[in-house]
Amino acid sequence: MERREIGWAIFLIIAVLSAYIVPYTVLREVDAWYGSFLFWSLFGLLIIAVNVFITRKWSE
Amino acid sequence: MNVTFVWIGVAIYVIASLMLAYYSRTGKAKDMTDYFLGNRMMGGVVSALSYSATTFSAFMLVGLAGLTYAGGVGALGFELIYFAGVSLIAFFGPRYWVAGKKYGYVTPTEMLGDRYNSKSVAVVTAIASCLFLIPYSAVQLTGVGYLLSSMSNHEISFTTGVTIATVLAIVFTIIAGIRSVMWTDAFQALLMIITATLVVLIVISRLGGFGNFFGTLEAEHPGSLTVPGNGYFSFPMFLSLTLPWIFFSISNPQVSQRLFMPASFKSMRTMLLGFLVFGFIYTLVAILWGYAALIKFPDLDNPDLATPTLLASDIVPPILAVIVMIGIMAAAVSTIDSIILTLSSMVARDVYGNAKRNPSERRQLLVGKIVIPIIAVLAYLFAQLQLDLIAVLSVSASAGLLVIVPAYIGVFFWKRGTAAGVISSVVISGALVAYLELAKLKPLGYGSGVWGFLLSIALFVGVSLATKAPEEKAEAFIKFVKSELKQQFNQPSNKKVAQR
Repeated sequence: MERREIGWAIFLIIAVLSAYIVPYTVLREVDAWYGSFLFWSLFGLLIIAVNVFITRKWSE
Repeated sequence: MNVTFVWIGVAIYVIASLMLAYYSRTGKAKDMTDYFLGNRMMGGVVSALSYSATTFSAFMLVGLAGLTYAGGVGALGFELIYFAGVSLIAFFGPRYWVAGKKYGYVTPTEMLGDRYNSKSVAVVTAIASCLFLIPYSAVQLTGVGYLLSSMSNHEISFTTGVTIATVLAIVFTIIAGIRSVMWTDAFQALLMIITATLVVLIVISRLGGFGNFFGTLEAEHPGSLTVPGNGYFSFPMFLSLTLPWIFFSISNPQVSQRLFMPASFKSMRTMLLGFLVFGFIYTLVAILWGYAALIKFPDLDNPDLATPTLLASDIVPPILAVIVMIGIMAAAVSTIDSIILTLSSMVARDVYGNAKRNPSERRQLLVGKIVIPIIAVLAYLFAQLQLDLIAVLSVSASAGLLVIVPAYIGVFFWKRGTAAGVISSVVISGALVAYLELAKLKPLGYGSGVWGFLLSIALFVGVSLATKAPEEKAEAFIKFVKSELKQQFNQPSNKKVAQR
Protein backbone atom coordinates (compact mmCIF):
# COMPACT_ATOMS: atom_id res chain seq x y z
CA MET A 1 0.00 0.00 0.00
CA GLU A 2 1.14 3.51 -0.76
CA ARG A 3 1.72 5.88 2.15
CA ARG A 4 -1.17 8.07 0.97
CA GLU A 5 -3.48 5.04 1.01
CA ILE A 6 -2.37 4.01 4.48
CA GLY A 7 -3.23 7.49 5.77
CA TRP A 8 -6.75 7.32 4.33
CA ALA A 9 -7.21 3.75 5.57
CA ILE A 10 -6.34 4.79 9.13
CA PHE A 11 -8.69 7.77 8.88
CA LEU A 12 -11.52 5.53 7.67
CA ILE A 13 -10.92 2.95 10.39
CA ILE A 14 -11.12 5.69 13.04
CA ALA A 15 -14.31 7.05 11.44
CA VAL A 16 -15.93 3.60 11.39
CA LEU A 17 -14.88 2.89 14.99
CA SER A 18 -16.45 6.21 16.02
CA ALA A 19 -19.66 5.13 14.25
CA TYR A 20 -19.73 2.15 16.62
CA ILE A 21 -18.60 3.90 19.80
CA VAL A 22 -20.16 7.41 19.85
CA PRO A 23 -23.85 6.42 19.53
CA TYR A 24 -23.44 3.73 22.21
CA THR A 25 -21.68 6.07 24.67
CA VAL A 26 -21.91 9.87 24.28
CA LEU A 27 -25.27 9.85 22.47
CA ARG A 28 -26.85 6.99 24.40
CA GLU A 29 -29.29 9.28 26.24
CA VAL A 30 -29.85 11.89 23.49
CA ASP A 31 -33.29 10.77 22.36
CA ALA A 32 -33.81 13.38 19.62
CA TRP A 33 -33.07 13.97 15.93
CA TYR A 34 -29.82 15.77 16.81
CA GLY A 35 -28.47 12.64 18.54
CA SER A 36 -27.45 9.42 16.80
CA PHE A 37 -29.67 10.18 13.78
CA LEU A 38 -27.70 13.33 12.99
CA PHE A 39 -24.36 11.77 13.95
CA TRP A 40 -24.74 8.80 11.62
CA SER A 41 -26.08 11.03 8.82
CA LEU A 42 -23.00 13.27 9.09
CA PHE A 43 -20.86 10.13 9.20
CA GLY A 44 -22.42 9.08 5.87
CA LEU A 45 -21.63 12.45 4.31
CA LEU A 46 -18.07 12.28 5.65
CA ILE A 47 -17.62 8.90 3.96
CA ILE A 48 -18.74 10.38 0.62
CA ALA A 49 -16.29 13.29 1.05
CA VAL A 50 -13.40 10.96 1.92
CA ASN A 51 -14.07 8.86 -1.18
CA VAL A 52 -14.09 12.00 -3.33
CA PHE A 53 -10.59 12.80 -2.00
CA ILE A 54 -9.15 9.29 -2.24
CA THR A 55 -10.20 8.91 -5.86
CA ARG A 56 -9.36 12.42 -7.06
CA LYS A 57 -6.46 11.19 -9.21
CA TRP A 58 -8.51 8.54 -11.01
CA SER A 59 -8.50 9.67 -14.61
CA GLU A 60 -8.89 8.18 -18.10
CA MET B 1 -55.74 -2.09 -3.56
CA ASN B 2 -57.36 -2.36 -6.98
CA VAL B 3 -55.83 -5.33 -8.79
CA THR B 4 -56.20 -3.61 -12.17
CA PHE B 5 -53.89 -0.82 -10.97
CA VAL B 6 -51.34 -3.41 -9.93
CA TRP B 7 -51.46 -5.19 -13.29
CA ILE B 8 -51.21 -1.94 -15.26
CA GLY B 9 -48.20 -0.93 -13.16
CA VAL B 10 -46.49 -4.28 -13.66
CA ALA B 11 -47.22 -4.20 -17.42
CA ILE B 12 -45.70 -0.73 -17.91
CA TYR B 13 -42.62 -1.72 -15.92
CA VAL B 14 -42.15 -4.95 -17.86
CA ILE B 15 -42.58 -3.35 -21.28
CA ALA B 16 -40.19 -0.47 -20.52
CA SER B 17 -37.53 -2.82 -19.11
CA LEU B 18 -37.82 -5.26 -22.01
CA MET B 19 -37.38 -2.48 -24.53
CA LEU B 20 -34.25 -1.31 -22.73
CA ALA B 21 -32.88 -4.84 -22.54
CA TYR B 22 -33.51 -5.30 -26.26
CA TYR B 23 -31.84 -2.05 -27.28
CA SER B 24 -28.82 -2.72 -25.05
CA ARG B 25 -27.64 -5.44 -27.46
CA THR B 26 -24.52 -4.70 -29.48
CA GLY B 27 -24.33 -7.68 -31.79
CA LYS B 28 -23.65 -11.25 -30.75
CA ALA B 29 -21.20 -11.64 -27.88
CA LYS B 30 -18.35 -13.88 -28.94
CA ASP B 31 -16.56 -14.53 -25.69
CA MET B 32 -16.90 -14.57 -21.92
CA THR B 33 -15.40 -11.11 -21.44
CA ASP B 34 -17.87 -9.56 -23.84
CA TYR B 35 -20.97 -11.30 -22.48
CA PHE B 36 -20.19 -11.18 -18.76
CA LEU B 37 -18.03 -8.04 -18.48
CA GLY B 38 -19.25 -5.87 -21.39
CA ASN B 39 -15.70 -6.11 -22.81
CA ARG B 40 -14.43 -4.14 -19.78
CA MET B 41 -15.84 -1.02 -21.43
CA MET B 42 -18.78 -0.04 -19.23
CA GLY B 43 -19.45 3.68 -18.69
CA GLY B 44 -19.49 5.35 -15.28
CA VAL B 45 -23.09 6.53 -14.91
CA VAL B 46 -24.75 3.29 -15.99
CA SER B 47 -22.28 1.39 -13.80
CA ALA B 48 -23.16 3.55 -10.80
CA LEU B 49 -26.90 3.05 -11.25
CA SER B 50 -26.53 -0.66 -11.92
CA TYR B 51 -24.21 -1.13 -8.94
CA SER B 52 -26.83 0.58 -6.77
CA ALA B 53 -29.71 -1.50 -8.10
CA THR B 54 -27.71 -4.71 -7.65
CA THR B 55 -26.66 -3.90 -4.09
CA PHE B 56 -30.01 -2.60 -2.88
CA SER B 57 -32.68 -5.25 -2.98
CA ALA B 58 -36.22 -5.47 -1.68
CA PHE B 59 -34.51 -5.62 1.72
CA MET B 60 -34.23 -1.84 1.89
CA LEU B 61 -37.85 -0.73 1.79
CA VAL B 62 -39.15 -3.88 3.47
CA GLY B 63 -36.40 -5.28 5.73
CA LEU B 64 -34.53 -2.08 6.69
CA ALA B 65 -37.79 -0.17 7.16
CA GLY B 66 -38.89 -3.13 9.32
CA LEU B 67 -35.67 -2.96 11.35
CA THR B 68 -36.28 0.76 11.95
CA TYR B 69 -39.82 -0.03 12.99
CA ALA B 70 -38.61 -2.71 15.41
CA GLY B 71 -35.45 -1.14 16.81
CA GLY B 72 -35.21 2.53 15.84
CA VAL B 73 -32.17 4.50 14.74
CA GLY B 74 -29.75 1.54 15.07
CA ALA B 75 -31.04 0.53 11.62
CA LEU B 76 -29.54 3.74 10.21
CA GLY B 77 -26.19 3.02 11.84
CA PHE B 78 -26.26 -0.54 10.52
CA GLU B 79 -26.85 0.52 6.94
CA LEU B 80 -24.40 3.44 7.00
CA ILE B 81 -21.61 1.29 8.42
CA TYR B 82 -22.18 -1.08 5.52
CA PHE B 83 -22.10 2.03 3.32
CA ALA B 84 -18.72 3.05 4.78
CA GLY B 85 -17.45 -0.43 3.88
CA VAL B 86 -18.01 0.38 0.21
CA SER B 87 -14.95 2.64 0.59
CA LEU B 88 -13.01 -0.62 0.20
CA ILE B 89 -13.56 -0.09 -3.53
CA ALA B 90 -11.28 2.96 -3.31
CA PHE B 91 -8.50 0.53 -2.29
CA PHE B 92 -9.41 -2.72 -4.03
CA GLY B 93 -11.12 -1.35 -7.17
CA PRO B 94 -7.97 -0.25 -9.04
CA ARG B 95 -6.20 -3.46 -7.98
CA TYR B 96 -8.97 -5.73 -9.31
CA TRP B 97 -9.11 -3.67 -12.47
CA VAL B 98 -5.42 -3.79 -13.41
CA ALA B 99 -5.12 -7.48 -12.43
CA GLY B 100 -8.29 -8.33 -14.40
CA LYS B 101 -7.03 -6.60 -17.50
CA LYS B 102 -3.56 -8.13 -17.34
CA TYR B 103 -4.58 -11.72 -16.58
CA GLY B 104 -7.99 -11.73 -18.33
CA TYR B 105 -10.05 -12.59 -15.26
CA VAL B 106 -13.79 -12.88 -15.79
CA THR B 107 -14.77 -13.79 -12.22
CA PRO B 108 -13.34 -12.83 -8.81
CA THR B 109 -13.00 -16.53 -7.95
CA GLU B 110 -10.97 -17.09 -11.12
CA MET B 111 -8.58 -14.45 -9.76
CA LEU B 112 -8.33 -16.36 -6.46
CA GLY B 113 -7.57 -19.62 -8.30
CA ASP B 114 -4.90 -18.05 -10.48
CA ARG B 115 -3.21 -16.02 -7.75
CA TYR B 116 -3.03 -18.95 -5.32
CA ASN B 117 -2.01 -21.20 -8.20
CA SER B 118 -4.76 -23.74 -7.61
CA LYS B 119 -7.78 -24.76 -9.66
CA SER B 120 -9.37 -26.19 -6.52
CA VAL B 121 -9.41 -22.71 -4.95
CA ALA B 122 -11.46 -21.38 -7.88
CA VAL B 123 -13.83 -24.37 -7.77
CA VAL B 124 -14.36 -24.31 -3.99
CA THR B 125 -14.90 -20.55 -3.71
CA ALA B 126 -17.24 -20.55 -6.74
CA ILE B 127 -19.33 -23.37 -5.25
CA ALA B 128 -19.39 -21.67 -1.83
CA SER B 129 -20.69 -18.50 -3.49
CA CYS B 130 -23.48 -20.45 -5.23
CA LEU B 131 -24.38 -22.22 -2.00
CA PHE B 132 -25.14 -18.98 -0.21
CA LEU B 133 -26.33 -16.78 -3.08
CA ILE B 134 -28.91 -19.06 -4.72
CA PRO B 135 -30.97 -19.21 -1.49
CA TYR B 136 -30.50 -15.43 -1.16
CA SER B 137 -32.00 -15.00 -4.64
CA ALA B 138 -34.82 -17.37 -3.68
CA VAL B 139 -35.75 -15.17 -0.74
CA GLN B 140 -35.77 -12.10 -3.02
CA LEU B 141 -38.22 -13.99 -5.25
CA THR B 142 -40.46 -14.84 -2.32
CA GLY B 143 -40.37 -11.14 -1.42
CA VAL B 144 -41.88 -10.26 -4.82
CA GLY B 145 -44.45 -13.05 -4.39
CA TYR B 146 -45.61 -11.74 -1.02
CA LEU B 147 -45.57 -8.12 -2.15
CA LEU B 148 -47.73 -8.67 -5.24
CA SER B 149 -50.17 -10.94 -3.44
CA SER B 150 -50.57 -8.68 -0.40
CA MET B 151 -50.88 -5.50 -2.48
CA SER B 152 -53.58 -7.07 -4.67
CA ASN B 153 -55.53 -8.42 -1.70
CA HIS B 154 -54.39 -11.92 -2.73
CA GLU B 155 -56.04 -11.66 -6.14
CA ILE B 156 -52.57 -12.16 -7.62
CA SER B 157 -51.23 -15.39 -6.14
CA PHE B 158 -47.83 -15.81 -4.48
CA THR B 159 -46.79 -18.24 -7.23
CA THR B 160 -47.74 -15.76 -9.95
CA GLY B 161 -45.57 -13.09 -8.30
CA VAL B 162 -42.59 -15.44 -7.96
CA THR B 163 -43.01 -16.63 -11.56
CA ILE B 164 -43.13 -13.09 -12.95
CA ALA B 165 -39.94 -12.15 -11.07
CA THR B 166 -38.11 -15.31 -12.19
CA VAL B 167 -39.05 -14.89 -15.85
CA LEU B 168 -38.01 -11.22 -15.79
CA ALA B 169 -34.67 -12.06 -14.18
CA ILE B 170 -33.96 -14.73 -16.81
CA VAL B 171 -34.98 -12.49 -19.71
CA PHE B 172 -33.02 -9.44 -18.48
CA THR B 173 -29.97 -11.66 -18.08
CA ILE B 174 -30.08 -13.71 -21.21
CA ILE B 175 -30.90 -11.03 -23.82
CA ALA B 176 -27.45 -9.44 -23.78
CA GLY B 177 -25.66 -10.67 -20.64
CA ILE B 178 -24.19 -7.89 -18.54
CA ARG B 179 -25.30 -5.18 -20.99
CA SER B 180 -29.00 -5.95 -20.64
CA VAL B 181 -28.55 -6.45 -16.90
CA MET B 182 -26.83 -3.09 -16.51
CA TRP B 183 -29.24 -1.07 -18.64
CA THR B 184 -32.34 -2.57 -17.05
CA ASP B 185 -30.68 -2.13 -13.65
CA ALA B 186 -30.03 1.54 -14.38
CA PHE B 187 -33.69 2.09 -15.27
CA GLN B 188 -34.80 0.17 -12.21
CA ALA B 189 -32.45 2.15 -9.95
CA LEU B 190 -34.01 5.41 -11.10
CA LEU B 191 -37.46 3.92 -10.58
CA MET B 192 -36.54 2.78 -7.07
CA ILE B 193 -35.09 6.02 -5.81
CA ILE B 194 -37.45 8.52 -7.44
CA THR B 195 -40.63 6.73 -6.37
CA ALA B 196 -39.50 6.01 -2.83
CA THR B 197 -38.16 9.51 -2.18
CA LEU B 198 -41.25 11.17 -3.60
CA VAL B 199 -43.64 9.06 -1.58
CA VAL B 200 -41.74 9.32 1.70
CA LEU B 201 -41.80 13.14 1.36
CA ILE B 202 -45.56 13.03 0.76
CA VAL B 203 -46.05 10.73 3.77
CA ILE B 204 -43.97 12.98 6.05
CA SER B 205 -45.84 16.09 4.94
CA ARG B 206 -49.13 14.30 5.64
CA LEU B 207 -47.81 13.44 9.10
CA GLY B 208 -47.23 17.14 9.78
CA GLY B 209 -43.77 17.79 8.30
CA PHE B 210 -40.28 16.96 9.62
CA GLY B 211 -40.69 18.95 12.87
CA ASN B 212 -43.82 17.09 13.89
CA PHE B 213 -42.42 13.83 12.56
CA PHE B 214 -39.42 13.80 14.89
CA GLY B 215 -41.44 15.44 17.68
CA THR B 216 -43.90 12.54 17.60
CA LEU B 217 -41.06 10.00 17.63
CA GLU B 218 -39.46 11.64 20.69
CA ALA B 219 -42.76 11.98 22.56
CA GLU B 220 -44.54 8.73 21.71
CA HIS B 221 -41.71 6.33 20.94
CA PRO B 222 -38.95 6.92 23.48
CA GLY B 223 -35.74 5.16 22.54
CA SER B 224 -36.50 5.18 18.82
CA LEU B 225 -33.74 7.77 18.25
CA THR B 226 -31.07 6.14 20.44
CA VAL B 227 -29.18 2.87 20.65
CA PRO B 228 -29.68 0.40 22.21
CA GLY B 229 -33.05 2.18 22.37
CA ASN B 230 -35.76 -0.32 23.23
CA GLY B 231 -33.05 -2.97 23.58
CA TYR B 232 -33.36 -4.38 20.06
CA PHE B 233 -29.97 -3.04 18.97
CA SER B 234 -27.82 -4.33 21.81
CA PHE B 235 -24.12 -3.86 21.02
CA PRO B 236 -23.41 -7.56 20.24
CA MET B 237 -26.47 -7.60 17.97
CA PHE B 238 -25.30 -4.42 16.23
CA LEU B 239 -21.78 -5.75 15.70
CA SER B 240 -23.04 -9.12 14.45
CA LEU B 241 -25.35 -7.42 11.98
CA THR B 242 -22.84 -4.89 10.67
CA LEU B 243 -19.62 -6.90 10.42
CA PRO B 244 -20.62 -9.16 7.50
CA TRP B 245 -21.90 -6.16 5.58
CA ILE B 246 -18.79 -3.98 5.95
CA PHE B 247 -17.00 -6.31 3.54
CA PHE B 248 -19.97 -6.76 1.18
CA SER B 249 -18.26 -4.96 -1.74
CA ILE B 250 -15.42 -7.49 -1.64
CA SER B 251 -17.16 -10.63 -0.41
CA ASN B 252 -20.16 -10.64 -2.78
CA PRO B 253 -19.11 -11.63 -6.31
CA GLN B 254 -22.09 -9.99 -8.02
CA VAL B 255 -20.68 -6.61 -6.98
CA SER B 256 -16.94 -7.35 -6.85
CA GLN B 257 -17.10 -8.65 -10.44
CA ARG B 258 -18.17 -5.12 -11.38
CA LEU B 259 -14.65 -3.96 -10.52
CA PHE B 260 -13.39 -5.67 -13.69
CA MET B 261 -15.86 -3.84 -15.93
CA PRO B 262 -15.37 -0.04 -16.01
CA ALA B 263 -13.84 1.42 -19.15
CA SER B 264 -11.35 3.50 -17.14
CA PHE B 265 -10.44 4.63 -13.63
CA LYS B 266 -12.58 7.67 -14.28
CA SER B 267 -15.59 5.43 -14.95
CA MET B 268 -14.84 3.48 -11.80
CA ARG B 269 -14.73 6.72 -9.82
CA THR B 270 -18.13 7.76 -11.21
CA MET B 271 -19.44 4.29 -10.31
CA LEU B 272 -18.19 4.54 -6.72
CA LEU B 273 -19.23 8.13 -6.01
CA GLY B 274 -22.54 7.76 -7.84
CA PHE B 275 -23.33 4.68 -5.78
CA LEU B 276 -22.46 6.46 -2.52
CA VAL B 277 -24.80 9.37 -3.24
CA PHE B 278 -27.57 6.98 -4.30
CA GLY B 279 -27.03 4.76 -1.26
CA PHE B 280 -27.05 7.65 1.18
CA ILE B 281 -30.38 8.98 -0.11
CA TYR B 282 -31.99 5.54 -0.41
CA THR B 283 -30.91 4.62 3.13
CA LEU B 284 -32.41 7.77 4.63
CA VAL B 285 -35.62 7.17 2.67
CA ALA B 286 -35.92 3.58 3.95
CA ILE B 287 -35.32 4.68 7.55
CA LEU B 288 -37.89 7.49 7.34
CA TRP B 289 -40.30 5.00 5.77
CA GLY B 290 -39.93 2.70 8.79
CA TYR B 291 -40.40 5.61 11.20
CA ALA B 292 -43.53 6.73 9.31
CA ALA B 293 -45.03 3.26 9.75
CA LEU B 294 -44.12 3.35 13.46
CA ILE B 295 -45.92 6.68 13.92
CA LYS B 296 -49.00 5.70 11.93
CA PHE B 297 -49.30 2.00 12.90
CA PRO B 298 -47.47 1.45 16.21
CA ASP B 299 -48.99 -1.95 17.01
CA LEU B 300 -48.01 -4.25 14.16
CA ASP B 301 -47.10 -7.83 15.19
CA ASN B 302 -44.56 -8.32 12.41
CA PRO B 303 -42.17 -5.43 11.59
CA ASP B 304 -41.81 -6.73 8.02
CA LEU B 305 -45.42 -5.67 7.50
CA ALA B 306 -44.53 -2.01 8.15
CA THR B 307 -44.09 -1.13 4.48
CA PRO B 308 -47.01 -3.13 3.01
CA THR B 309 -49.30 -1.73 5.74
CA LEU B 310 -48.20 1.83 5.06
CA LEU B 311 -48.63 1.34 1.30
CA ALA B 312 -52.13 -0.07 1.75
CA SER B 313 -53.19 2.77 4.08
CA ASP B 314 -55.04 5.94 3.13
CA ILE B 315 -51.92 8.03 3.80
CA VAL B 316 -50.43 6.99 0.44
CA PRO B 317 -52.49 7.74 -2.70
CA PRO B 318 -53.26 4.40 -4.47
CA ILE B 319 -51.46 5.27 -7.72
CA LEU B 320 -48.30 6.20 -5.80
CA ALA B 321 -48.56 3.03 -3.74
CA VAL B 322 -48.54 0.97 -6.95
CA ILE B 323 -45.52 2.92 -8.20
CA VAL B 324 -43.60 2.27 -4.97
CA MET B 325 -44.59 -1.38 -5.13
CA ILE B 326 -43.15 -1.58 -8.66
CA GLY B 327 -40.02 0.16 -7.32
CA ILE B 328 -39.62 -2.54 -4.65
CA MET B 329 -40.20 -5.26 -7.24
CA ALA B 330 -37.57 -3.62 -9.46
CA ALA B 331 -35.16 -3.59 -6.51
CA ALA B 332 -35.60 -7.35 -6.09
CA VAL B 333 -35.41 -8.26 -9.79
CA SER B 334 -32.33 -6.07 -10.39
CA THR B 335 -30.52 -7.86 -7.56
CA ILE B 336 -31.55 -11.35 -8.68
CA ASP B 337 -30.57 -10.94 -12.34
CA SER B 338 -27.08 -9.72 -11.42
CA ILE B 339 -26.58 -12.61 -9.01
CA ILE B 340 -27.75 -15.13 -11.60
CA LEU B 341 -25.42 -13.69 -14.24
CA THR B 342 -22.41 -13.69 -11.90
CA LEU B 343 -23.06 -17.20 -10.61
CA SER B 344 -23.47 -18.56 -14.15
CA SER B 345 -20.15 -16.97 -15.13
CA MET B 346 -18.54 -18.65 -12.12
CA VAL B 347 -20.02 -22.07 -12.92
CA ALA B 348 -18.92 -21.77 -16.57
CA ARG B 349 -15.48 -20.32 -15.90
CA ASP B 350 -14.41 -21.82 -12.59
CA VAL B 351 -16.29 -25.08 -12.25
CA TYR B 352 -16.77 -26.22 -15.86
CA GLY B 353 -13.63 -24.44 -17.11
CA ASN B 354 -11.46 -26.24 -14.56
CA ALA B 355 -13.20 -29.61 -14.71
CA LYS B 356 -12.61 -29.97 -18.43
CA ARG B 357 -9.30 -29.71 -20.18
CA ASN B 358 -8.93 -26.28 -21.75
CA PRO B 359 -12.49 -25.76 -22.98
CA SER B 360 -12.73 -22.95 -25.55
CA GLU B 361 -14.19 -19.53 -24.71
CA ARG B 362 -17.18 -20.24 -26.93
CA ARG B 363 -17.87 -23.49 -25.15
CA GLN B 364 -17.61 -21.79 -21.73
CA LEU B 365 -19.96 -19.07 -22.94
CA LEU B 366 -22.46 -21.67 -24.13
CA VAL B 367 -22.32 -23.40 -20.74
CA GLY B 368 -22.78 -20.04 -19.00
CA LYS B 369 -25.87 -19.30 -21.06
CA ILE B 370 -27.32 -22.74 -20.34
CA VAL B 371 -26.64 -22.32 -16.62
CA ILE B 372 -28.50 -18.97 -16.39
CA PRO B 373 -32.02 -20.48 -16.55
CA ILE B 374 -30.93 -23.46 -14.44
CA ILE B 375 -29.82 -21.23 -11.56
CA ALA B 376 -32.96 -19.12 -11.94
CA VAL B 377 -35.19 -22.21 -11.85
CA LEU B 378 -33.32 -23.54 -8.79
CA ALA B 379 -33.99 -20.24 -7.03
CA TYR B 380 -37.62 -20.44 -8.18
CA LEU B 381 -38.02 -23.95 -6.78
CA PHE B 382 -36.40 -22.95 -3.49
CA ALA B 383 -38.76 -19.97 -3.33
CA GLN B 384 -41.75 -22.25 -3.88
CA LEU B 385 -40.65 -24.77 -1.26
CA GLN B 386 -40.11 -22.03 1.32
CA LEU B 387 -37.89 -24.39 3.32
CA ASP B 388 -36.45 -23.27 6.63
CA LEU B 389 -33.01 -24.25 5.41
CA ILE B 390 -33.29 -21.85 2.49
CA ALA B 391 -34.24 -18.99 4.79
CA VAL B 392 -31.31 -19.86 7.04
CA LEU B 393 -28.81 -19.96 4.17
CA SER B 394 -30.19 -16.70 2.85
CA VAL B 395 -29.88 -14.90 6.17
CA SER B 396 -26.38 -16.26 6.54
CA ALA B 397 -25.42 -15.31 2.95
CA SER B 398 -23.47 -12.21 3.97
CA ALA B 399 -21.86 -14.02 6.92
CA GLY B 400 -21.13 -17.06 4.75
CA LEU B 401 -19.43 -15.02 2.04
CA LEU B 402 -17.47 -13.07 4.65
CA VAL B 403 -15.27 -16.13 5.21
CA ILE B 404 -13.76 -15.62 1.71
CA VAL B 405 -12.63 -12.06 2.54
CA PRO B 406 -9.22 -12.96 4.08
CA ALA B 407 -8.38 -14.80 0.84
CA TYR B 408 -9.32 -11.75 -1.27
CA ILE B 409 -7.21 -9.46 0.92
CA GLY B 410 -4.32 -11.92 0.72
CA VAL B 411 -4.39 -11.79 -3.10
CA PHE B 412 -3.01 -8.26 -3.07
CA PHE B 413 -1.38 -7.84 0.31
CA TRP B 414 0.05 -11.14 1.55
CA LYS B 415 2.58 -13.14 -0.44
CA ARG B 416 2.56 -16.00 2.07
CA GLY B 417 -1.11 -16.90 1.50
CA THR B 418 -1.59 -20.43 0.14
CA ALA B 419 -4.27 -22.50 -1.57
CA ALA B 420 -4.56 -24.78 1.48
CA GLY B 421 -5.09 -21.69 3.63
CA VAL B 422 -7.89 -20.46 1.36
CA ILE B 423 -9.66 -23.81 1.04
CA SER B 424 -9.53 -24.63 4.75
CA SER B 425 -10.66 -21.16 5.79
CA VAL B 426 -13.57 -21.11 3.33
CA VAL B 427 -14.80 -24.66 3.88
CA ILE B 428 -14.44 -24.93 7.67
CA SER B 429 -15.55 -21.38 8.51
CA GLY B 430 -18.39 -21.59 5.97
CA ALA B 431 -19.57 -24.81 7.65
CA LEU B 432 -19.35 -23.12 11.07
CA VAL B 433 -21.51 -20.21 9.85
CA ALA B 434 -24.12 -22.60 8.43
CA TYR B 435 -24.10 -24.67 11.63
CA LEU B 436 -24.50 -21.66 13.96
CA GLU B 437 -27.36 -20.36 11.83
CA LEU B 438 -29.10 -23.74 11.62
CA ALA B 439 -28.74 -24.42 15.35
CA LYS B 440 -29.68 -20.78 16.06
CA LEU B 441 -26.63 -20.42 18.29
CA LYS B 442 -25.05 -17.11 19.26
CA PRO B 443 -22.05 -17.84 21.48
CA LEU B 444 -21.50 -14.93 23.94
CA GLY B 445 -24.30 -13.06 22.15
CA TYR B 446 -22.33 -12.68 18.89
CA GLY B 447 -23.72 -13.97 15.59
CA SER B 448 -22.32 -16.40 13.03
CA GLY B 449 -20.57 -13.69 10.99
CA VAL B 450 -18.31 -12.65 13.87
CA TRP B 451 -17.24 -16.23 14.69
CA GLY B 452 -16.97 -17.32 11.06
CA PHE B 453 -14.79 -14.33 10.23
CA LEU B 454 -12.46 -14.81 13.21
CA LEU B 455 -12.04 -18.52 12.43
CA SER B 456 -11.51 -17.78 8.77
CA ILE B 457 -8.70 -15.29 9.52
CA ALA B 458 -7.06 -17.75 11.95
CA LEU B 459 -7.25 -20.65 9.48
CA PHE B 460 -6.12 -18.64 6.47
CA VAL B 461 -3.08 -17.28 8.32
CA GLY B 462 -2.28 -20.45 10.30
CA VAL B 463 -2.62 -22.97 7.47
CA SER B 464 -0.86 -20.66 5.00
CA LEU B 465 2.14 -20.33 7.31
CA ALA B 466 2.30 -24.12 7.63
CA THR B 467 2.19 -24.73 3.86
CA LYS B 468 4.25 -23.63 0.88
CA ALA B 469 3.20 -20.44 -0.86
CA PRO B 470 3.23 -20.04 -4.69
CA GLU B 471 6.15 -17.63 -4.33
CA GLU B 472 6.88 -16.98 -7.97
CA LYS B 473 3.26 -16.25 -8.86
CA ALA B 474 2.68 -14.13 -5.76
CA GLU B 475 5.81 -12.11 -6.39
CA ALA B 476 5.02 -11.47 -10.06
CA PHE B 477 1.36 -10.66 -9.39
CA ILE B 478 1.89 -8.25 -6.52
CA LYS B 479 4.83 -6.56 -8.23
CA PHE B 480 2.84 -6.04 -11.41
CA VAL B 481 -0.18 -4.55 -9.62
CA LYS B 482 2.03 -2.27 -7.55
CA SER B 483 3.98 -0.93 -10.49
CA GLU B 484 0.82 -0.39 -12.57
CA LEU B 485 -0.82 1.61 -9.80
CA LYS B 486 2.30 3.62 -9.22
CA GLN B 487 2.44 4.48 -12.88
CA GLN B 488 -1.24 5.40 -12.93
CA PHE B 489 -1.43 7.54 -9.83
CA ASN B 490 2.02 9.02 -9.42
CA GLN B 491 2.41 10.29 -12.94
CA PRO B 492 1.65 13.97 -13.57
CA SER B 493 -1.53 14.15 -15.62
CA ASN B 494 -1.34 14.88 -19.36
CA LYS B 495 -2.65 18.35 -18.79
CA LYS B 496 0.18 19.23 -16.43
CA VAL B 497 2.71 17.80 -18.83
CA ALA B 498 1.29 19.93 -21.66
CA GLN B 499 1.44 23.04 -19.53
CA ARG B 500 5.11 22.53 -18.92
